[in-house]
Amino acid sequence: MTHALELRGVVKTYGRRRALNGLDLCVPAGSVFGLVGSNGAGKTTCMAASVGLLRIDAGTIDLLEAGPFDPLRHTGRVALLPQDSHLPPHATAGELLRFYGQLQGLAPAELAGAVQDVLEWTNLVDRRDSRVRTLSHGMARRLTIAQAFLGRPELVLLDEPLSGLDPREVVRIRGLIRERRGRQTIVISSHNLHEIEALCDRVAFIEAGRLVEQNTLAEIVRRDHTITYTLQASALTAAALQPLAPALRCELTPDGTALVVAFDGTGATHAEVNARVLRCLLDAGVGITEVRCGSKLESQYMQATGERPRQEKP
Amino acid sequence: MTPSIAGVAIMARHELADAVRSRRALVLLTLYLVGSVAATAIFATLLKHIEVEVSAAVGLESAKQVGTVSSTLWKSKPFREMVIHLTGDRALGETLLQVPPVGLFYGWLSLTFAPLLVLMTAAGRMAEDIGDGSARFILFRSSRLDWCLGTFLGQAGQLLLALLLSALGAWVTGWWRLAGAFDAVATMQAMLWLAFKAWFYALAALGLALGVSQFFSSPHLATVVGFIVLVGLSVLAGLARHFSGDGLRRLWDLALLLTPGGHRLGVWHNDAAHLLPTMAYLVALAFVYLFAGYAYLARRDL
Repeated sequence: MTHALELRGVVKTYGRRRALNGLDLCVPAGSVFGLVGSNGAGKTTCMAASVGLLRIDAGTIDLLEAGPFDPLRHTGRVALLPQDSHLPPHATAGELLRFYGQLQGLAPAELAGAVQDVLEWTNLVDRRDSRVRTLSHGMARRLTIAQAFLGRPELVLLDEPLSGLDPREVVRIRGLIRERRGRQTIVISSHNLHEIEALCDRVAFIEAGRLVEQNTLAEIVRRDHTITYTLQASALTAAALQPLAPALRCELTPDGTALVVAFDGTGATHAEVNARVLRCLLDAGVGITEVRCGSKLESQYMQATGERPRQEKP
Repeated sequence: MTPSIAGVAIMARHELADAVRSRRALVLLTLYLVGSVAATAIFATLLKHIEVEVSAAVGLESAKQVGTVSSTLWKSKPFREMVIHLTGDRALGETLLQVPPVGLFYGWLSLTFAPLLVLMTAAGRMAEDIGDGSARFILFRSSRLDWCLGTFLGQAGQLLLALLLSALGAWVTGWWRLAGAFDAVATMQAMLWLAFKAWFYALAALGLALGVSQFFSSPHLATVVGFIVLVGLSVLAGLARHFSGDGLRRLWDLALLLTPGGHRLGVWHNDAAHLLPTMAYLVALAFVYLFAGYAYLARRDL
């Protein structure tokens, strides 16, 4: 299987508004894929349409190379963490997960183990017998994450998975999602670009229901041929960077707090370029607070969607 | 789309279990039990007043225990002829006269109020799950048809329990208040049989309630619309009965077929020739209403 999810020219309208306007998307199997876009860009609609919760007006959706969502073909193979949806309040966490497991066809022998796995995974074992209505917001959110990974489905769609979690749980769940890379395909929709950068190996920018850019994260942030320096406020001028030209292309932000150095086509390594640039900056008496491979996803997103970032911030 | 038997069964079991957990089942059973007990108690009180008046009118000493006069009246030939004349159907009249008075009252009560209670308790069910988004956790694991049928079966199970419990409540009340002329075994048999028949009658209302529920995301709106539709169908059945006749007026018979009220009289019969087609029609009506809602659910955004 080469791709886990493929959308071609998908159109979805709500009344007069086009939520998806010919969206093309290809999610390779085994990737952790980030969907990035502004509010109303179509991320949630894309996910809901993929699992058949929304009916599309045009285009095609191919799920796990078995056509559009069909319960007969996809039950147990696809899971969704929907945004702004509430779990039934009266069932306990354990009862609910068992019910979902039964629905997705888990055999009785493996059901208890699968439920235990996801409860441990989300740190909810001690709340197995608690009713959903008695769980805190964060715990209920973790339970929704647990149901999405129940039975190890091949494709998991997570809509804003880490919102509402405390920092400790964010770190924990992030680590667990990373562990699944290569074993399951995970699509994450989030406004938090730091989260996407930390989790995903491929990213798509969506705006106004259309794909703006889709590539590996390394390509998008030009990780292989760009180094970004965060500088202390200084009077660094373009002239001071002259020794680096023409091999290296330097771009200094107007306020002088960030320097982006591109070295594609030079054949130089990160270490070689970094040595040259650092020497140049130190000779110019500039303080350096951060050095990172590539640009920030945030600035690439802003550029790709037509807005220039005001500055790179650490 | 073909339903999965396992999927429907899991969904029905969950519907029942969730009704117990959420105390919806408790509310439902309490409503039916309290309703039947209270109504039977009122019936017994009224019966007592009537018996006192009748005894006074014919110059007899009042019976010590309520029900004695009614039982005597029930067996009298003039009264039996009157009932047969009123029903306009000798077979039906004979059938009704075999049922003890309190059983007959319970039958009327359950056929009249069970559809309303069903609407009240079931019309919001699927709309609630659609509205709060909990259906989204189910519908990538199961088909919409399984969800629809499973919810219907789960609700139908609760309804049967509620009607059987209400029959028991009415029987105990009758036994306590009409001790003078209460044939415990015959009344129990009659009431359980009537509860079972009322269940079939109420299934049509359940199909209607869940059919309407699939159109909405608000349980309150679904309940209100469900009531309006049920009242509308009752009015239609009344009009159809009034205007039915020969020629083009036979079209009204079609309206009778499509409304639960049009089959109400058939439920009172005990002979298979009348009862089986009536039950078949009621079940078919339940699924017609349910699938009218499903036709929308299958295409709607969730």
